[in-house]
Amino acid sequence: MAESQAQHGSPGRDDRGPARKVRFEATIHPGRKARGANWIDELNVDRVPDSKGLIRALLTADDCVRLLDQGLEVRLHSAHPIRPLDPRLIETDESVRRWLDERLQGIDRAPGPKGSGEPERG
Amino acid sequence: MYRRVAQLDSVMGLLATFFPQLCTRIQLPNSSILGRPVYAFRMRAGSGSNRRGVLLVGGMHARELMNPDAIVELQLDLVTSYLNGTDLVLGGRTWSALDIKVMLETLDIWMLPCANPDGREVVMDGDDLWRQNRRDNPGTPCDGVDLNRNLDFVWGVTTSATSCNPCHNTYVGSGPFSEPEALNIKYLCDTHRIDVFVDVHSFSELVLYPWGHAPTQTTDPSQRFTSLATGTCAPLNPPGHQEYLLPRDQLRFRTVAQRIVDAIRAVRNHSYTPEPGRALYATTGTSSDYVYSRHIANPTLHKTYGFAFETGPQIVGDLPNSFHPADPSAIKREAKSGMLALIQQSICAIEFIGATLLGGTTEVQAIRGVRDERFATTAAGRGLIALFERIQTPLLGVILADESLTREAMSLLERASKLIGNDRAIVSDRDVRRGLALLDSLADRVTSRSVRRDLATVRKPLTKASGKSIRRILEDLIGPHRRRARKTPGPKPPKGPSRPSSARRRR
Repeated sequence: MAESQAQHGSPGRDDRGPARKVRFEATIHPGRKARGANWIDELNVDRVPDSKGLIRALLTADDCVRLLDQGLEVRLHSAHPIRPLDPRLIETDESVRRWLDERLQGIDRAPGPKGSGEPERG
Repeated sequence: MYRRVAQLDSVMGLLATFFPQLCTRIQLPNSSILGRPVYAFRMRAGSGSNRRGVLLVGGMHARELMNPDAIVELQLDLVTSYLNGTDLVLGGRTWSALDIKVMLETLDIWMLPCANPDGREVVMDGDDLWRQNRRDNPGTPCDGVDLNRNLDFVWGVTTSATSCNPCHNTYVGSGPFSEPEALNIKYLCDTHRIDVFVDVHSFSELVLYPWGHAPTQTTDPSQRFTSLATGTCAPLNPPGHQEYLLPRDQLRFRTVAQRIVDAIRAVRNHSYTPEPGRALYATTGTSSDYVYSRHIANPTLHKTYGFAFETGPQIVGDLPNSFHPADPSAIKREAKSGMLALIQQSICAIEFIGATLLGGTTEVQAIRGVRDERFATTAAGRGLIALFERIQTPLLGVILADESLTREAMSLLERASKLIGNDRAIVSDRDVRRGLALLDSLADRVTSRSVRRDLATVRKPLTKASGKSIRRILEDLIGPHRRRARKTPGPKPPKGPSRPSSARRRR
């Protein structure tokens, strides 16, 4: 398993340091140098939907370099540091157990563990 | 709030332990790349085998955190509604206890809530915008395959959002189904009857249906994906390819998608958009196209209608909040309402009564033949199909709740299938009296005014059916039978169905 969770840089670009710790929400535009109508088909990016029909994507610094090298125009709208989910958004085992017990209160169950038991570890 | 993989698995395990009459948790044959077990869950009540099946999938893309939680919560909602006999209220949309009972007693509801467990853990512990699984891509410092590009449908054909570069976020993998997590979807389709499928993603409030790789057309059956080169790591060739979709299937996709959209809108008045996948952006190797393509690539396989949801709105400039908002409750209610609408639309009352209760397929085939060969060919006929699909679920609930009604419905279905097998058969006074009595019994028991109105629509022509042939009744209802125009002059077409029976489509 490669070490970095923040990959997506091209091989050989591991020395970029901080650039590898952030992604950018960007829109991609044909620019003056882009040739041909198929430029969209050849983007190979992590597209995300856009309600206005723009080509919106989540890009690494390496993606930006690649797209600029292709003559495309890349507009950066926001930067997202690579980091774990806010722990406050993750349920605890206790809160899951409480939720399940509340929802199942008063319903006859087949014999099983008392309460909702310990969540299994995957 | 979002649950960890172990918590999702545990809830499913406990439900299966506590309520074995309703719930079964199954460990799928392919563990994740990092060795985590992957679980499917089946819900059904009552008896009967070879039921129609629905498969709900979530969490293919790791960062789309809401959907695995929504699917597991739906499991619990279904259990409590069924066992307590209570309605399921999702914002402004109420699913009655009877709705839920009919779903669980007529279908096998399969769920794969967390298709990509390794990815979900990465999102929680390391990278909240991680998309892929955790494949170590050999010869590169890069990890991950995009599971929703890895299925065997036009695999390895690149698009703006499909890449053959192992360091890109939409990497297709080393081959179709190279990834165990994607292979689990194939396994479920191979080993169980799956009639309807949805892969629940986020975000942008869409209900998608085929096709995703190319624009859809309904006029040129020669343009089929089966003739496209795959694994090319180049854009679709020929560039102007437009994929054929059977008009009846397109109508079905649109109708069901609209009902899903309606059910979602009722929750909090958010309007999801129904459209072909390609309208979002072109993709190949996706699950919803794959499941639907299977019966075309291999006609011996069962047809599966494949959908994808994109739940939740776009929050411009705040991707993390679009993928996993701090409070996803309302979006999960919408997702659940959409999934319930899809499940409800998967019910076929005729098939349930014929195949499950009567234990045969003859009656179902006969009625399905008339639907596809006659009713589907005229606007009036399609209107009646729509009417039937609208009222079948509430009526099935009423029928199943009363043994004498169930017996009468079974008996009338047998009689109807005999009559429609012969265009010249004459409908008797007794047939009409029995049909009217059943309609009146149903009308007395339903509470919905619109269902009663629909029953009255059916009642009217039935009162005039006595002594008429089936051909005449059908002509009165939907107009004369139109045979297909021949391109070249030739002998008169033979009497009987205008198309060979082998061309009849399975639903």
